[in-house]
Amino acid sequence: MHIVDGALAGEVVIGGAVLAVGGLAVGLRSLDLDRIPATGLLAATFFVASLIHVPVGPSSVHLIMNGLAGLVLGWAAFPALFVGLLLQAIFFGFGGVTVLGVNTVAIALPAVVVGILCRAPIRRSSPTVAAVWGAVAGGGAIAGTALLVAVALALSGEAFVPAAKLVLVAHIPIMIIEAIVCAAAVMLLRRVKPELLGMAPAPASGTAHA
Amino acid sequence: MPKWILVFLWSLAWPSLADAHNVIAAVWPAGDVIEGEIGFSSGEMAPEGTVVRVLDPDGVELGRTTVDGTGLFRFEPTVAVAHRFLADLGQGHVAEVELAVDDLPAALASRAAPAESHTADAGAVADGMVEFDAATLERIVASAIQRELAPLKRELARRDREANLQSIVSGLGYIAGVFGLLFFVYARRQRR
Repeated sequence: MHIVDGALAGEVVIGGAVLAVGGLAVGLRSLDLDRIPATGLLAATFFVASLIHVPVGPSSVHLIMNGLAGLVLGWAAFPALFVGLLLQAIFFGFGGVTVLGVNTVAIALPAVVVGILCRAPIRRSSPTVAAVWGAVAGGGAIAGTALLVAVALALSGEAFVPAAKLVLVAHIPIMIIEAIVCAAAVMLLRRVKPELLGMAPAPASGTAHA
Repeated sequence: MPKWILVFLWSLAWPSLADAHNVIAAVWPAGDVIEGEIGFSSGEMAPEGTVVRVLDPDGVELGRTTVDGTGLFRFEPTVAVAHRFLADLGQGHVAEVELAVDDLPAALASRAAPAESHTADAGAVADGMVEFDAATLERIVASAIQRELAPLKRELARRDREANLQSIVSGLGYIAGVFGLLFFVYARRQRR
């Protein structure tokens, strides 16, 4: 979901930009050398995922993948998703440069929130339960994004309740697909690269090299 | 029934309109009128009845028109200024497109400076053939050409905005570059 240039009131655009700069600052501070490649990879994932439209029934949807970015990156999701959004605005005119701040907050803030909420349970629980938490993170991040988009539209004049319902309903197919994709990604990551989720490295590879 | 309930029900049937976020709008002169098209990058067109506001460069409204069943709209210009077309498709989708003065229908220009010598006897019959005066003929040819060119223009406008493989790959290249640079900066900081 991208808001385009000209749809929002000036105050909302400025407010979004300020929040986005704050998020970017926190995100860049939380980054360290080891996590930069993962950040870049998830920026690329987001960039490509939202370009590919998957046909679902009579319509088509595209993935956003901000839930996964939040799970792996935490606050560093801000710079990752910002770079993706910036390039989409420049290359394809998705969104727009003036509303970049609002779009960044709408997509990255829910990512950070689900990251904080769902990381710990994913680390602790069994693979099956972790997959469920992954699904919650994937679907929840989309719901958060839809809600923030509705808030931004409401602050600019559109009535909040209908706008929010409209945006949420439109995102239900994406929420379901993201939940499945994110759950699968969490299961895979736990097996092959658990350190990306902040867990101890997989024991199998350790013993094989010893 | 309130209007938003209808919109809501409609969105249930076509959820993609909400997330096909790239709005495509194009306008072109078509005979005496300005014709335009509004749709989404997914290929779906703006819903029938979408209101298009027409503004002059200073933001004064010149008139309104609505989108027909195929995503097209028509507007007859009366003043020789640049025309801005705005349509609110809801949910933050705003279509905006402008037609410059030079691109306005030729009829408007000739109306501003009338009485060119198209004064051949209209409808004069010679040897059983119907003779058209120059202006009528011009209009017939113009509308025929317009009909032929419309799909091409539409296709061009669509391609203009479409994501192609080349820009996707170059985008990935930029991402690699940006994070490579970040890597460099952080590595330098750590070394000190």
